[in-house]
Amino acid sequence: MAASRFKIAQLGAGRMGTVHARGAAANPRLRLAYLVDPRPEAAAPLAKEVGAKLADLDTVLADPEVVGVIVASSTDVHLDNTLACLRAGKAVFCEKPLDLDLARLQAAKAEITASAAPLLVAFNRRFDPHYLALKARIGAGAIGRLESLNIINHDPAPPAHAFIVPSGGLFKDFTIHDLDLACWLLEETPVELFAAASCLVDPVIGEKGDVDTARVVLKTASGQLCMISNTRRSGCGYDQRIEAFGSQGVAMADNPRLDTVQVWGEAGAVSSPIPRDFIGRYAQAYRAELDHFADVLAGAPSQIGFAESVRALTLAEAAAESVRSGRSVRL
Amino acid sequence: MFKIALFGAGRIGRIHAANAAAHPALTLAYVVDPVAAAARALAVETGARVTDLETALGDASVAGVIIASSTDTHLDYARRAVAAGKAVFCEKPIDQDLARARSAAIELSGSRLFLGFNRRFDPSFQALKARLSSGAVGRLESLQITSHDPAPPPVSYIKVSGGLFKDMAIHDFDMARWLLGEEPVEVFASASCLVDPKIGAAGDVDTAKTLLRTASGKLCVISNSRRSGYGYDQRIEAFGSEGMVKADNMLESTVQTWNETGAAADRFQNFFLDRYRDAYRLEIDHFAEILAGQAVPSVGYADGVAALALAEAAGLSARTGQVVKL
Repeated sequence: MAASRFKIAQLGAGRMGTVHARGAAANPRLRLAYLVDPRPEAAAPLAKEVGAKLADLDTVLADPEVVGVIVASSTDVHLDNTLACLRAGKAVFCEKPLDLDLARLQAAKAEITASAAPLLVAFNRRFDPHYLALKARIGAGAIGRLESLNIINHDPAPPAHAFIVPSGGLFKDFTIHDLDLACWLLEETPVELFAAASCLVDPVIGEKGDVDTARVVLKTASGQLCMISNTRRSGCGYDQRIEAFGSQGVAMADNPRLDTVQVWGEAGAVSSPIPRDFIGRYAQAYRAELDHFADVLAGAPSQIGFAESVRALTLAEAAAESVRSGRSVRL
Repeated sequence: MFKIALFGAGRIGRIHAANAAAHPALTLAYVVDPVAAAARALAVETGARVTDLETALGDASVAGVIIASSTDTHLDYARRAVAAGKAVFCEKPIDQDLARARSAAIELSGSRLFLGFNRRFDPSFQALKARLSSGAVGRLESLQITSHDPAPPPVSYIKVSGGLFKDMAIHDFDMARWLLGEEPVEVFASASCLVDPKIGAAGDVDTAKTLLRTASGKLCVISNSRRSGYGYDQRIEAFGSEGMVKADNMLESTVQTWNETGAAADRFQNFFLDRYRDAYRLEIDHFAEILAGQAVPSVGYADGVAALALAEAAGLSARTGQVVKL
């Protein structure tokens, strides 16, 4: 059976790299052969765990048996890594975002769109079974014609201060997921965007020039509306919900609970909390996106790639611009 | 017992009349309505007498007046009733025109005018506010108010309603002010006509998302639709520094039906007369307290003007596509 597996490599052995390496090792259609990281000593335990060999990028690119590469390196090298792998004819699974700079992304457009090797950009939420079921219900006409969306995306706790600046800011790092989900569910590209944002969670985030609490309103050409709610710290776990309002009803994807236990007392009922960590909440999505990568390696078209990355980043930049100017932005 | 008069025997007037008639401290003495048959029917039901406005206001034994007449008469009747020394319970909105509403400031500011923003009296929303005040979720940072009607009103109503923001969203603007505890300084609204093209032809919108921001940076989003397709969707989520407080919809029953395809819950309580039944009753309780001198109006003229100002700002923002600063 092992011979039929696609031989792949992975760049990056950090937090997301660990998730993907474990996922790839567990996937029956993938064989993770190489692990590449600028700090091999830090990557060694993961390489050992998943049965991959530590290597450098050149070795990976020169190995003709390697058909695909997972790019889970730091964000600032995603695009360079992706281009190098595509040039070598490797299919690429790139962790989001493909890049934080729209101009750089546009500069790579000709090469990426002309590449024979496919590119999958891993916006994980599209692969979440709850959101997939929501989209399927909408597609099946369960709520009539889709009219508006509410997307709640609240982190449990703010990231380390050192992460704030390299992250590209709330909109490019965090809201970008919701902007992609909005386009995916609305099946229409927003033409108008307004964002209001504040620094309410941690003053240091504000000192670094970022915001931690935001609301974004999108409008499409046909008049569909979408609201996105973001905070870097919910105080109640990783709050991930979508409500889709249609002409004949609403479809809601709620938070899963850690367990189904409810405790009732004189003061009322207490449910178990919602998940705190994104890796646990989206564990199925991470598995499903690797499955999709195996499909792509087998010849299926990539469901999400360069165009979607550009679109989401364009909207994220528009949101930041709206906050700076205090005006709505036309796209 | 306090003798009171009711102006307006329409849909909402009938609710208030029934609650007033059932209240141990109130006697509904008079019903006033230009539609004689409506006034008569309600008077018979509640044991009141049909009369005209002048007689009701001229009766020194009448301590309070409920104004549930058509919106265009609210402000005029409120002024006259306050001038006659009556305590007033006036249905929302105070008026549809901000400049006109503001012109009554001298007479109505600080008066015994209680404005019927019923949602403030809903037990669930009161419990939500109490949890916020007790610090259950730390410092309030943002709000999400969902307010979707089950089905659109007739276009004849749309034309006189003052539009989505002044007629419907005005409730949510009041809830936002009440819960935020701070005045919004910025309003942005994005709105569409998606439900019924006739509403658009009448110059109104039927679907809207409105974003409010306060001076300290608190954010609030209001979601409105004239037609939900699934009942009267009335929910609030309040996000604080240490958690979230959520008031969910009330269902017709707690019955859930489970089968191979999943679970089905009962539908939401139908429209405002059912969903806010308790709130209407508690409003009358509050009015009785005001009459007894045990309370001053918890929501009054200034709140009506502030909500109307937000509604006008939202309408302006939706038309221009620009943020409106207040």
